[in-house]
Amino acid sequence: MALTFSYQGSVNLPSASNSHKTNEIAVSVRGLGLTYTTVIDRRPTFKARVKSLGRGLKQTRIIRALDDVNIDIEYGQVLGVIGVNGAGKSSMMRVIAGIIPPSQGRIEVFGSVSTLLALGVGFNPSMSGRDNVFLGGLAAGMSRQEIESHFQEIADFSELGEAIDAPMRTYSSGMFSRLAFSVAATVRPDILIVDEALSTGDAKFKQKSLNRIKELRSDDRALILVSHAMATLRDVCNDIAWLHKGKLVQRGAPDATIDAYQEFLQLGKSAAIDEDV
Amino acid sequence: MSAPLRVYEPFKAGLPPLIPYWKSLFSRRTFISEYSRSELREQHFDSVFGQLWLVLNPLLLSGVYFLLIVIIGGASDGARYAHLTATLFLFYLVANSLTGGVKSITAGQRLILNTAFPRIMLPISAVVIAVFKFFPTLIIFFIIRIVLGLPFSWQMLWAIPIFFITLLLALALAITISCINVYFRDISSFLPYLTRTLLYLSPILYEASALKPQLKALEALNPLFPILDSWSQALVHGIAPQSSSLLTGLAWAFGVFLIGTYFFLSREREFAVRL
Repeated sequence: MALTFSYQGSVNLPSASNSHKTNEIAVSVRGLGLTYTTVIDRRPTFKARVKSLGRGLKQTRIIRALDDVNIDIEYGQVLGVIGVNGAGKSSMMRVIAGIIPPSQGRIEVFGSVSTLLALGVGFNPSMSGRDNVFLGGLAAGMSRQEIESHFQEIADFSELGEAIDAPMRTYSSGMFSRLAFSVAATVRPDILIVDEALSTGDAKFKQKSLNRIKELRSDDRALILVSHAMATLRDVCNDIAWLHKGKLVQRGAPDATIDAYQEFLQLGKSAAIDEDV
Repeated sequence: MSAPLRVYEPFKAGLPPLIPYWKSLFSRRTFISEYSRSELREQHFDSVFGQLWLVLNPLLLSGVYFLLIVIIGGASDGARYAHLTATLFLFYLVANSLTGGVKSITAGQRLILNTAFPRIMLPISAVVIAVFKFFPTLIIFFIIRIVLGLPFSWQMLWAIPIFFITLLLALALAITISCINVYFRDISSFLPYLTRTLLYLSPILYEASALKPQLKALEALNPLFPILDSWSQALVHGIAPQSSSLLTGLAWAFGVFLIGTYFFLSREREFAVRL
């Protein structure tokens, strides 16, 4: 641990061994609200701004992504996060990872976080997989030695073979997500966030990553999985949080919560939703 | 229970806490060097022909501009060519920082959306890349200088502080323009016109002393003017630059750096939702 904590001031410290105990708090989210302004145009331009001058056209839209969400995540817990598109799942993950600051509330994180939000690795497609792994790790605050010590394991787990040295623009989407998952799962963070990354791998890799997730679970780490694959969530999670329109609708045992969610999807509404919206 | 490792709370408008920001930036300095190295490797500057191109490109450019000077301005001498190459190469340090910096944030979209890190690392890396491209051209300049038989003097060491002032200005411009590009993506299309205008406004194709008195106002508007003039004085003519030029250049660089960095730091937490 001494080595791990020599890099003060970085967020995503990976720790090789886990010192946390079951049921210790990993992440505490209190009264979380997130409101942000986003642009309507895909590419905001000066030209568009000048053209719309005086016409009173709105350039931005205010989005209320999260509204008074309270969640505690404990070590040893695998929390599945479900909800329809736009429910605020990814926004919540980004706030926990420190990528977007919250508008209201307070988030306390008791451990190192590794994120795999919508496939983080591979930001520069013209560079090789190897370069991208190193750059992603360095940006996350790891040291060169730490990444080097993990690299072989990452490469082996991803099963990319020689493709690891090819530019990432030559990768298929499956290869992309395999590498991304390998990075996040190999650095053994205290808290691992996986945002819809399991869906693109082939059946064999999917099985392998599920095994890795179960391994991490038995190792008393905290895992947050954002997914639409309900069967997978039922299999690996021991807790489910259902978000809808930025609010936490239900939190509880996987089967009960997923059943309620699936019922809601078919009916289009449910008592739990109607109360608040 | 132990204290939380990290606490995230709503931020106030304005700057983030600067000391933790600096610490977090400093702990990631390897990212900057690694990123620039990978980027240069990707542009093949680690191969023989890549490096040859790095040298050939400014040489050809200076040749073309020298041709222009000879045709428009009549006869020319060796010192004039040395002035042209020295200032043109330094100008390209700033221009490359601008072109590299403008897309640094938008190109790093994936990383910004998925990792928490000081965003200012990206424009800084762009400037580091520009510096790596600048050094070989400096060697070329000295070879040209020797071939032309210009005398060396101790006053040429003034080039070192001038280089650092230029670096600060390049950094300031890269940070500013990378942030502007998040809000106005077409700024990168305006950039070639901007750098071209800056090139003609600067004492590169002409010497600062040759500027007509009625055009002196241009001097005050161009941050590069005093810097390039001092650079040429020191490196080409081997005389100490005027301290007023140095101070004006420094004031420009520092001013743009403060404003641009403030703008960037107070906005960067919003980048993730703007990309």
